[in-house]
Amino acid sequence: MRCEEIRPRLDAYIDGELAEAERAVLRDHLADCPECGPEAAALARLRDSIRQAAPVYRAPEVLRSQIRVALRREALASVRAARPAPGWLAYAASILLAVAVGSGGTWLITGQRQEDAVANELIDSHLRSLLGSHLTDVASSDQHTVKPWFAGRSDVSPPAVDLAGEGFPLVGGRLDLIAGVPVPALVYRRREHVINVFVLPASRGDLSTSLTRRGYTLRHWNEGDLGFWAVSDAAFPELAEFEHVFRTATNG
Amino acid sequence: MGWIAERRRRSRFESLVLPHLDAAYALARWLTRNDADAADVVQEAVLRAFRYFDTYREGDAKSWILRIVRRTCYSWLERNRPADVVPLDEEEGLDEGVSSAPMAAGDTEALLQNRSDLWRLDVLIEALPAPLREVIVLRELNELGYREIAEITGVPIGTVMSRLHRARSALRRAWEGKDIGDAV
Repeated sequence: MRCEEIRPRLDAYIDGELAEAERAVLRDHLADCPECGPEAAALARLRDSIRQAAPVYRAPEVLRSQIRVALRREALASVRAARPAPGWLAYAASILLAVAVGSGGTWLITGQRQEDAVANELIDSHLRSLLGSHLTDVASSDQHTVKPWFAGRSDVSPPAVDLAGEGFPLVGGRLDLIAGVPVPALVYRRREHVINVFVLPASRGDLSTSLTRRGYTLRHWNEGDLGFWAVSDAAFPELAEFEHVFRTATNG
Repeated sequence: MGWIAERRRRSRFESLVLPHLDAAYALARWLTRNDADAADVVQEAVLRAFRYFDTYREGDAKSWILRIVRRTCYSWLERNRPADVVPLDEEEGLDEGVSSAPMAAGDTEALLQNRSDLWRLDVLIEALPAPLREVIVLRELNELGYREIAEITGVPIGTVMSRLHRARSALRRAWEGKDIGDAV
């Protein structure tokens, strides 16, 4: 090959993009040619200099989390769009939930089935949060980050307090759809256990209750006009301790 | 239930796309030449990709997302900085293939010579017209092969090769010329 044919191939040569046969031809030529050899070396030098000189841009952390939140909102929106409005099932379920929550203590007495419906909804949400990588929409142990995040996204504003000092670090917050309604969830950790605290309007009566279903523990209490539902696979005494610690911190 | 499927879809999307967020941001940053604009473009591109996730078939997720980021960059530039991307009737010097990429306004040489900070290679790269800049970025900084670059930029491999050659020649002339000038 003559030099004029070699030159346009030099880029592909130093990039290792030539087929072996052609590569061998160039290698031989470059070893002998007093002009093409240095030319290839200069090209390789330029390439190395570019790699050294150019700044390495990385996606900022805040962009990463903004994208996660935006994706979540997008997914929620598409589910809502796909749901026939009002949607018989969703409607029925939300009434069920409202009735169950609204009737407070009485639902425990009146209907095993209602109680199970709510428990199942919450346990399902808890389980879904553990699948995949969607434990939180806003990952932070800072209450001044977590609490404002919920503003405008849900009807209730949950008190997000970090309880790391008491052994229950705040991991972040999440918005879940429960029976078609966006419900804020605060996420705490207790050693290897995750505790989801769903925050709904308070149930009637001021009854604290615990129950276990499918191996998971639920604990419910009211504070002011908010009702809290803590769900975890942590043992029952730990959840009771959590309630105590949480209520102390929030003056509940 | 619709939203369990939706959540599964989102998880799959995130595990495919988010590992390439740095590469996506770097490409957008080099094309928009600005941090805030790059962030806007990347977010828009990722959401767009999510909307069209159903059209993604098994394959190289990185090329797929970079292709969308690149397209989003160009439409963003056309919207916000049309002067940056004036399409040329013909690609002077880029011999083969009809390019779908808009060519930046102005002559490469002139662009590179009208700056006082030419001794910096990164500044020289920023001054390259977008179609040349993007092949340099994809090749040297993302270390992608010609085939992947062709796939992302939507041009034949031969065009990738000639753009790369042209970009490097322009950089060398400006850079080495300056080097010698400074040394004398």
